[in-house]
Amino acid sequence: MAETDTYTSYRTEEYVVKEEPFYLPVGDEVELFEVAYSQQMPVLLKGPTGTGKTRFVEYMSYRLGRPITKVTRSRRDGGQSKGSSVPLMTIACHEDLTASDLVGRYLLEGDETRWMDGPLARAVKVGAICYLDEVVEARKDTTVLIHPLTDHRRLLPIDKRGEIIEAHAGFLMVLSYNPGYQSALKDLKHSTRQRFMAMEFNAPPPELEAQIIEHESGASASVSLALAKLGEKVRNLKDHGLQEGVGTRLLIYAGKLINNGIAPRRACQVAVTWALTDDQQVQRSIDEVINSIFE
Amino acid sequence: MQQVTLAESEEKLQRYPKELNEALREAWSAVSGTLSDEEMAAWVGWGVAIAQQAGRSWEAAREYFRASPAAVQALPFVHLKQWGYWGNALAEESPAASSAYFRASPRIVGTLKPWDVPEWAQIGRRLYGRGRRSGVLTTRYFEVSGDLLSVLSFSELQNLVGMMEAIAERSVDEAASFLSLSSEVLPTLREDTRSCLSLISSLLGREWQQATGCLQVVGEALARVERVERSRYLSLVGRVAENGGVNVPAFLRDSSAALGQLEGYIHVHVLNMADSLSRVDHAVVLDYLKGVPQVMRRVSINQLETWYETGVAILKENPEGGAAYFKGESSRSEEVLEKLSTGVELGRVKEVMRLYCRALSALDVEIAAHQAEEAQGKGWVALEKMMAEGATVYLPPVAERFGNKDENFDWYKVVATHQVAHLEFQSFDFSFDRQATQFSDMRSRLLPVPSEDDGEAELVDGRAVGLADIQRFFGLFVDGNLARDIFTAVEDCRLDYRVKVEYPGIRQAYAGVQHLALAERPRLEELPAREAMVELLIRFSLQQGRELMVPERYAGSARALWDIVRPLSSPHALVEDSAEATIRIYQIISQVPNEEVPDEEWQQGDFPDEQTPWESMSDEEWEQLLRELMEAQQQSGEGEEQPYESPPQVDYRGEFKPELMQVISMLRESQRERGAKGETISKGEMERLLAEANQPVTNNQGVDPQRRGMFVTDLVKEVGSRGTPQGAIQQTTMAYDPSYDEEEQGGPLEIKEPASFLYDEWDYRMSDYRSRWCLLREKDMSEGDSTYFTATLDGYAALASQIRRQFELMLPQGLQKVKRQQDGDELELDAVIEAMVDKRSGTSPSEKVYVRRNKVQRDVAVVFLMDMSASTAEAIDESRRLADEWDAPDDPLEYMFWLRSRRGEGVRRSYKRIVDLEKESLVLLIHALETIGDTYGIYGFSGYGRENVDFFVIKDVQEALSDRVKRRIDKVSPLQATRMGPAIRHAVTKLDQLEARTKFLILISDGRPQDRGYSREGVEKEYAIHDTRVALLETRRRGITPFCLTVDKEGHDYLRSMCQDMGYEVLADIHSLPRRLPALYRSLTV
Ligand SMILES: Nc1ncnc2c1ncn2[C@@H]1O[C@H](COP(=O)(O)OP(=O)(O)OP(=O)(O)O)[C@@H](O)[C@H]1O
Ligand SMILES: [Mg+2]
Repeated sequence: MAETDTYTSYRTEEYVVKEEPFYLPVGDEVELFEVAYSQQMPVLLKGPTGTGKTRFVEYMSYRLGRPITKVTRSRRDGGQSKGSSVPLMTIACHEDLTASDLVGRYLLEGDETRWMDGPLARAVKVGAICYLDEVVEARKDTTVLIHPLTDHRRLLPIDKRGEIIEAHAGFLMVLSYNPGYQSALKDLKHSTRQRFMAMEFNAPPPELEAQIIEHESGASASVSLALAKLGEKVRNLKDHGLQEGVGTRLLIYAGKLINNGIAPRRACQVAVTWALTDDQQVQRSIDEVINSIFE
Repeated sequence: MQQVTLAESEEKLQRYPKELNEALREAWSAVSGTLSDEEMAAWVGWGVAIAQQAGRSWEAAREYFRASPAAVQALPFVHLKQWGYWGNALAEESPAASSAYFRASPRIVGTLKPWDVPEWAQIGRRLYGRGRRSGVLTTRYFEVSGDLLSVLSFSELQNLVGMMEAIAERSVDEAASFLSLSSEVLPTLREDTRSCLSLISSLLGREWQQATGCLQVVGEALARVERVERSRYLSLVGRVAENGGVNVPAFLRDSSAALGQLEGYIHVHVLNMADSLSRVDHAVVLDYLKGVPQVMRRVSINQLETWYETGVAILKENPEGGAAYFKGESSRSEEVLEKLSTGVELGRVKEVMRLYCRALSALDVEIAAHQAEEAQGKGWVALEKMMAEGATVYLPPVAERFGNKDENFDWYKVVATHQVAHLEFQSFDFSFDRQATQFSDMRSRLLPVPSEDDGEAELVDGRAVGLADIQRFFGLFVDGNLARDIFTAVEDCRLDYRVKVEYPGIRQAYAGVQHLALAERPRLEELPAREAMVELLIRFSLQQGRELMVPERYAGSARALWDIVRPLSSPHALVEDSAEATIRIYQIISQVPNEEVPDEEWQQGDFPDEQTPWESMSDEEWEQLLRELMEAQQQSGEGEEQPYESPPQVDYRGEFKPELMQVISMLRESQRERGAKGETISKGEMERLLAEANQPVTNNQGVDPQRRGMFVTDLVKEVGSRGTPQGAIQQTTMAYDPSYDEEEQGGPLEIKEPASFLYDEWDYRMSDYRSRWCLLREKDMSEGDSTYFTATLDGYAALASQIRRQFELMLPQGLQKVKRQQDGDELELDAVIEAMVDKRSGTSPSEKVYVRRNKVQRDVAVVFLMDMSASTAEAIDESRRLADEWDAPDDPLEYMFWLRSRRGEGVRRSYKRIVDLEKESLVLLIHALETIGDTYGIYGFSGYGRENVDFFVIKDVQEALSDRVKRRIDKVSPLQATRMGPAIRHAVTKLDQLEARTKFLILISDGRPQDRGYSREGVEKEYAIHDTRVALLETRRRGITPFCLTVDKEGHDYLRSMCQDMGYEVLADIHSLPRRLPALYRSLTV
């Protein structure tokens, strides 16, 4: 770990979450995931944004007794490949993410070349949970990799090296996917979908959500409850002017603002109303709900 | 001169009809006392002379004699002589005129100064000199003189005649009717006569034709103007008219009509402004006046002035802008008003309120303006109007009780929040089985033990229909009405408390509204005892706990009520708690006789805020308490018992009909079950259920049977055909229609004509396709006018170019970098490095190391399928009248075409229909699509029955956008029914012909699929939805992405099952369609 004045940076392999991530189970998801993991069943996490998918995977990886490593894609990463075990690889997918970004590539080192495993390869080797966040954003060619890994074969072909890696027993592929997108071009293919057990994440009931908000934002119990109530009401507007209801994340933001001295109505306006929509009518309606709930 | 005798005189007149001598005789005796002998002779002489003039001049002579007594009375002899002389002179010209002259004389000589009489006569004579047909004028002049002189001075009369002569220069007839009108109208104008005359005289120079018109309307017009303002009003009109080019009668009519809508005391202000406005620009005065009532509905008089001054300022800068301002056409005017007015109009906040209610209740709540009369009978939450899963909240059209906008808006919000609270906090979910949280369970112990023949379920139409729980609950009470009133008050207690706890943000506004409501409650001391007790409950529910008048005798009971009501102010209280409270309160109040309480027996009671918490009493304790209360009440009771009347509604709360609601939801439930089995509820059954549910109405108020019949039918509609648009084929009845099976029993169809296609249809009951079940005919849409297309684009100019720009952005500037190509303009650094690395490590490097700037080919094909069913003819509310502005093309030539085609259509539509917006959206979309070069086709469909599905080609997928296409769009109009399945299938065959990489089918509809044998109640509705769903699935299987866009508010209801995992969208506001459709297309295809 190297401390500098302004920020703390970790080598990918060194970053370990020391504390248990806070995750409040809403249903039987923990149990399901545990079984899925033990049975090597790939998991698809569906659900609107900010409903705790990422947090859930972090928590599960901790719970399953494994430290955690975050990988942000950095192409000319000089890190070493050997040795370290990498139990949770979170890979944020985006449209430029190619197969070799996942699998690995040769690097130049003086006159020599050196192969470096990509995050997926590393995960496969050490038996990590590989979490592909927002998988629909990735380029289509990545599915070539996903398919053999997520059926009974559990293989990762590395063409450039002419290798095929058999996945470690502890390896598990987890995808996240937000079905709210309307773009038909970004739908998951059925052949991909049907390789995963799917778990749906939705907004938790107000009492639970209030606890989450309270814990995450530090706002008081009553404010948190009011925020959860607001969340519930605003979600009633989904498909009625809102494409997407409000996620817990935004409610937490509002809680943090309030906790730091911003007037509740104003905090909700910036963290909820304006964050959600540009439509003035809908904005006004949400503001009215806010005005009713908060003094 | 010698003396003449009567006999001699008679002798001279012997040869004329007897009447003449009779007249002479009568006059003789009257005048002989006044005139000297000599004068008598002269007098008789003139008469004889007149009679001798010409054929019928004896008649004039007769009138002469008849008028003489009055004339002799009034005129000195010199003038009498002249009087006679002029009569004679007239008779020479026209006996009729002369007769009229004499006939008018008695009134005239009494009015005019004697020396004016000859003058008056001379005028008549002069008129006669005007030539052809002038006799009419003269006669008319004399006829009306009497009336006119009663209101005009002689010189004014002369003036008027002058005007008339001016008119007569052009038209004698006009002049004659002008005269008659004057005599009719002017006397009614009284003090305003002069102003009116001067208005008319000011017209005569140029606008003489308008004079009569003015007279015709002026009386009526002035009647509408505040009396003291009338003459300045007329002079205002005069000033405006001075400038010419004004239709004065119309001005009078319209401006006075506008003033008539205003309170009289405002006229002076309005006219002051009009006066100064007329000095700035006379042409806008009328528009200003016409606009004022509208404006005054929204602002106060002071604010009117601000509005006016803003307008004048604009007018001085920019005459056209000012004119538009006062016409109410400029948005500036709207803005100013909006800023000024303190009232809030429902129309402006409706959508916000709708979403707000939706957010609170999670149900589709419709917001409707309630009309005053309606509110009486129905209340604001007309729950019988239950929609698919929501309710209608009725709000008044304007909120203006408070002096500022925010408070008025808050008032709306409070009303809506309270009404929605019934849904949010489950007032309608009463269940016998659920435990109350604050009270012990008394209700189930009161329930009669069901006996064999009196089970809970009754048999109706051969099947069991249970009673709703809430009905069973009210069944516990002898006096159902009293119980309902108590329950309502108590439940409102619970809700109002709940709302205030859950929504602290409106607590203050809420309290304000409650306070207002309190002010409108009847005085307790004026009510008989039992009603006072119920009223007391309402006061409690409105948070009044102090200074309440209570009859001494019932003070203990009142206190007990308070104790029972208080536990309802708990966040955990349920509707069942209200029910338990109702039972207990009923037990107390039903013992209170409804008798007058003498004044001295009222005492003031305060009910403390802080109270010992309600301890759930044991039954024994409760009975003990009841007994004590009864004893306290026993003491006296000599007052007269009166029939119990329900308390007036609290205005913001509306009517609360829990029974009806439960019955409706039960009906809906059983409808759903039976629907699955293909059965429906009969009307008889429904009527019975309603009669029970609606007892307070049907029992007490003797609702007229017709209205009730209507109500039942409405309900049949609500429950049965939620949201089914009124298509041509919707003669749907709830009753099971046996003919349906026969109709559908026909077998597969055959193709008999070209351009026909057969499609299978999915029957979910068989879980299989019915093969060759639908016959679809493809036709070219007939052609209308291509100006429709351009005109639409013009009308939406801003939006059109905005959409087009957005579409252009979808093309990445024409060129896009494509990485990793075999060859290209540039090396790609990453790829080169990779290749280098590969080479070093011994693998064969990739040769794809170039970046090429490619023209990107979008490869998208899309078919738009438009619902042309009859229901799209429904008018959408067109509150802002933009229609005519954009409708008409600017180009004069196009305008001609346009006009002609409109006329061709017969009636000119001034409102927009759903289909119009669909068309407009298509036009905008086409316009944009042309920029990105996607392949697209547009088709419409409609039809009647499975053998008649019409599929109209508006633009075939292979066809280029041509004038023909534009002309076809014009012709798209509502036809018949909506059988979606075959249309979708046919559209798919169209898309199948294309090679595109990505294909879409976008279905634009206004309602659920429906057609004969496709959509009727129960089974067929399911049938249609299933078939459509299957057709959409087929679509997807063919690699085409379907998307349904509907403007039907109830769309969620069936689209959810129809499209499930496929894309769909329900447009909340149809007006947004032209904007939404292109946006949707973009997001689908990027
Ligand atoms: N059940 C939960 N327990 C604890 N925290 C939660 C829970 N659900 C949501 N959160 C909070 O909400 C925030 C957002 O959750 P997270 O980032 O996991 O959402 P996500 O589903 O991954 O969203 P996205 O799809 O946008 O990536 C988290 O930071 C966490 O604070
Ligand atoms: Mg996430």
